[in-house]
Amino acid sequence: MSTIAGPGHTPPIADVRHNEAMSTGRTSHRAGRPARLLSAVFQPIGDEGRAALVERRISEAITGGVLHAGERLPSEHDLAQAFGVAPATVREGLLALRTRGLVVTRRGRGGGSFVADSADPTAFTQAALRTTTRVTLRDAATHYLAITRACVELAARRADPSEVELIRARIHRAHGGDLRSWRRIVDDAVIELAALSQSARLTREQMRLQAELSPFFALVDREPAEQQRRLDALDAILDAVTAADADTAGHLVADAVAHDVSWLVDYRARLEAQ
Amino acid sequence: MTTTHVETPAVIVADYFGQAIDELEGWKARFATELAAARARGPVTTDVLDALVAPYALRTFDALALPVYGSGFIAALDSLSDARSHLAWWQGADRGKLVLAAQSVNKEAIDYSELEWYRVPHQTGEAHVAGPYVDYLCSDEYTITIASPVFLDDEFVGVAGLDLLIDQVERDLTPKLAPHGADISIVNGVGRVLLSTSPHRETGDTVRGAELDALTRTECPGMALAVLAG
Repeated sequence: MSTIAGPGHTPPIADVRHNEAMSTGRTSHRAGRPARLLSAVFQPIGDEGRAALVERRISEAITGGVLHAGERLPSEHDLAQAFGVAPATVREGLLALRTRGLVVTRRGRGGGSFVADSADPTAFTQAALRTTTRVTLRDAATHYLAITRACVELAARRADPSEVELIRARIHRAHGGDLRSWRRIVDDAVIELAALSQSARLTREQMRLQAELSPFFALVDREPAEQQRRLDALDAILDAVTAADADTAGHLVADAVAHDVSWLVDYRARLEAQ
Repeated sequence: MTTTHVETPAVIVADYFGQAIDELEGWKARFATELAAARARGPVTTDVLDALVAPYALRTFDALALPVYGSGFIAALDSLSDARSHLAWWQGADRGKLVLAAQSVNKEAIDYSELEWYRVPHQTGEAHVAGPYVDYLCSDEYTITIASPVFLDDEFVGVAGLDLLIDQVERDLTPKLAPHGADISIVNGVGRVLLSTSPHRETGDTVRGAELDALTRTECPGMALAVLAG
């Protein structure tokens, strides 16, 4: 696990410790195998139960703002089907979420499980940002940049201008709407642009990273000037992709990510000072 | 008198993907009749649609000499009574029903109106071989989707479709094309390479400009694919 520590997450340091312990073996050297890759094979799979996985999926969706305050969750039956687990497992996961105050259950007509009214993705993300060190934040951004940049550079080589224009039209339609729909459109646009790389692996990685970091970008985008800045940056990147100019597209992505990180680092300092 | 079927690369490609088009055209007519009957009985919900599509979608996996990865029907936007959008879709080794989080949890409409496999059959009224593209909605893989529009009278109600993974198409078609030349490539409408007998042409790259001019282009009958020979 290398996700940024959100509320209730295991610190990523645990993985590092296991890694060190496993890579001290010598047999792999004698066998002529790369010791670090071999140790990765035998990393702990994790004994986390399925109910805990259900809990984590839903809690991440709530803290990340994918599920909104007051929103009704699907029935236990539907959740069980969606997750591919037994209804009893879903019940156990929901119980844990209730204990954490993320979910409330109402009885009777119109009852069911709902995201707690107090669930505010901004507050969750602010809390996560406060508890994340600068080194972890910058490392996450470095990873995000490496993948996004590789996708965009490949897209510049491979995309047809008509494919780029579909993305551009979408983000311009969304601009000026509420923050939630703006962020959804931006996330979709970035993933669509990544898909123009024609690389399934890179696109899957981009999707994973986008989901992880989007709540932080949403903090930045609460300021209208930053939304405008992001729109302009995306436009410039799309121009470079259309012009098949991979170098410019790559540099523009690097500038955009650097701006987000420095904004978040400053904001983190302001939160700490409070 | 018999006619000999000349196995040119363009014909091999057209036969290969043509099977998929024929299969979809074959079931969509019967499916349309059943959908019309279901509408006459009452509102068509996602559950009603899933039940109608399932037998055809599941049959498609075994009906063809093609490595079908996914199969089903994608409803026209705003055509169902309980959801703005819906994919009645089965995929993978276990042929499991696709459950998209955005549909099952957020109940948000997935806007697939601009995606090639939906947009082109909708606009042209004809079957289309879409891709190759990274399918971030269903398979999460590099994919070709063959899609055929379904109409009730003049109303567009969705597309019947099936997915093939490029990984498997490469296994199938490269050996068949190899005897015809060391630089035979299949490209789509924007010139994107689907696969090539030349190890130096990368799947996903786009052939254009002077490079394209140096190659002989043959259209594959009945679909927006062409064969480039060097």
